[in-house]
Amino acid sequence: MAADTSSDDRGLRKGKWAPYGLLSPGILWLVLFFLVPVMILVRTALSSKASRFANPEFSWQFSNFTSAFTDYGPQFVRSFLFAGIATISAILIGYPLAYWIATQGGRWKNLLIGLVVVPFFTSYLIRTIAWTSLLKDDGVILNVIHAIPFVPQDFRLLATPAGVIGGLTYNFLSFMILPIYVSLEKIDFRLTEAAADLYGTPWQAFKKVVLPLSMPGVFAGSLLVFIPAAGDYLNNRYLGSPKTSMIGTVVQDKFLVQFDYPVAAALSLVLMAIITTMVLIYSKFLGTEGLAV
Amino acid sequence: MTKRRISTPSPTSQADLSRRKFLGTSGLALGGLALGPALLAACSSDSSGGDASSGDNELWFDNWTLYIDKPEGELYGKGGTLDSFQNASGQKIKYTEGINDNNEYFAKIQPLLSQDKPIGPDIIALTFWMAGRLTTLGWVEKLPLDKIPNSANLIESLTKPPSDPTGEYSLPWQAGMAGIAYNKSVTGRALNSVDDLFDPAFKGKIGMLLEMRDTIGLIAMSLGIDLATPTFEKFQPAFDKLKEGVDSGQIRQFTGNDYVDDLEQGSFAACIGWSGDVVQLSASNPDIGFSIPESGGTLWFDTMQIPVGASNVEGAAEWMNYVYDPVNAAKITAEVQYISPVQGVQEELRKMGGDAAALADSQLVFPDASTLATLQSWGNLDEEEEALFDAEFAKITGA
Repeated sequence: MAADTSSDDRGLRKGKWAPYGLLSPGILWLVLFFLVPVMILVRTALSSKASRFANPEFSWQFSNFTSAFTDYGPQFVRSFLFAGIATISAILIGYPLAYWIATQGGRWKNLLIGLVVVPFFTSYLIRTIAWTSLLKDDGVILNVIHAIPFVPQDFRLLATPAGVIGGLTYNFLSFMILPIYVSLEKIDFRLTEAAADLYGTPWQAFKKVVLPLSMPGVFAGSLLVFIPAAGDYLNNRYLGSPKTSMIGTVVQDKFLVQFDYPVAAALSLVLMAIITTMVLIYSKFLGTEGLAV
Repeated sequence: MTKRRISTPSPTSQADLSRRKFLGTSGLALGGLALGPALLAACSSDSSGGDASSGDNELWFDNWTLYIDKPEGELYGKGGTLDSFQNASGQKIKYTEGINDNNEYFAKIQPLLSQDKPIGPDIIALTFWMAGRLTTLGWVEKLPLDKIPNSANLIESLTKPPSDPTGEYSLPWQAGMAGIAYNKSVTGRALNSVDDLFDPAFKGKIGMLLEMRDTIGLIAMSLGIDLATPTFEKFQPAFDKLKEGVDSGQIRQFTGNDYVDDLEQGSFAACIGWSGDVVQLSASNPDIGFSIPESGGTLWFDTMQIPVGASNVEGAAEWMNYVYDPVNAAKITAEVQYISPVQGVQEELRKMGGDAAALADSQLVFPDASTLATLQSWGNLDEEEEALFDAEFAKITGA
């Protein structure tokens, strides 16, 4: 008996620390792979280099940030514009699909959701390069478009903003579909019957009942699409042109070709800051409960 | 550049991830690389005693992919050069394919070499201009040329290049050319001048390489600027011409090795390309052509260098001497099909017969004297000049 009690005591005392113990892998992960890198990034962004191949020295070099703002305005604007259009496109494509699977999928639901994810077993890079063959100038898609009257002969999709936005939308589409599907799946669709009983049209039922209940999914999906799309450079690399370059293009080149680590770090931080601000404003309007899906 | 297999063109051979393909896709997963180069440098070495401090006399050669006569995925390949070198010399060799891109590799080794720490490999094979940078920075050992008597077999133009004027810090591995690649089914004619790339008839259908020295080099040569003593001021007209091409929409895109697909698919009418790729492409698609422009093409080459702190300089010298024997060099050429830096390879290939003998007559592997005379190599760019070149080029490519 006594032995039992003492073991319970120990259990209780352990219990006090248990949450921290359980959190520790996550905290350790965040410290090691988020906090430390961000601190290094801040330090690098405020550094200067004695010569091109020297290691950056910390020197409160705030001018890195001003040059990040002044020299790369167009790329920043394009990044957010492209990512914004891609996010909206992903909602427009993803919502009906998720809605259809959730309401009409029946016993095929899991299979259908599986099919949404299947393309993403292929590498991101390969998927993007595959688009160059799909959209090539004399490919199937372009030939169909050229068959439409009044389409100019030199119309093309590759190396245009449309190509880049299309690539972004496609590449991140499943990140939109999955959360929307999850939030729609939880909805008790007898609520729409109740709406009908109250003389609501199907459209009103959707607008006033289903859509608000699925907003957490839309919110989560938008973040999952917008954030990586804004920092992406691969879609521009393969589907874009020098005139469609995004901020990721600049960061990559600054880091790996020009060895301008300080400005590259400053650009990354500015990108992070802008995205964080936008996410905060967005969540203010749509509510953060969406994050708890 | 993709390996050229003249005798056996197949769709899959084009899918080979090649040395230059990596140039194009460089930096894909490399965001993190720049932050933790040392970490990656450590990761890239195999667990087997690759460390410079391993003590045994193993020789470690870090090279580009598909750049020696060994089957893909195999460690040495029986009967290949690596295997026969080990048998002939008793020197164990470790061969890795760790180089995907000059800048990326530099980012990886820079933190170690700048602190005088060994990076591991005894021989690395970076492209001449990067080799020149390492030499200038003092990060490579002087080569024990007295132990490499076969270096006398080297083609003269590659022995003391502008990137290494004394010839004491680098020796060539393989070479190639950049010129104009075109798809006749789109252009309707053969192209042979850089001005053709700026022909308004091909507006929006012209590709350029992200490899600054090849793109700017060809344009500069067409404007009569020579590449031997490059300064930013002198090259400004070439940048202006390129920028004009981008602004007007003439130039569609800047690519790495992936121009091969764009060219074949007709998205590019013409572009700047590398000799090796185009031979392979044209074997399966006769519409694809390659020419060295009238104003000249660029000649590039990869070099062998010994980084400071390498543990097996003797072995490295032994290896270099071995591959500069024309008989051994011919075996490598038969497989990789680049321009060999060794004299006498052409005769050896003829002796080998079959596909190898056919290769001996290829203008792109053995350019004749008149072609060679039109080729130019870049002189050394000093640190500040190179920064100006890279920054201006980035501005034009959208970065």
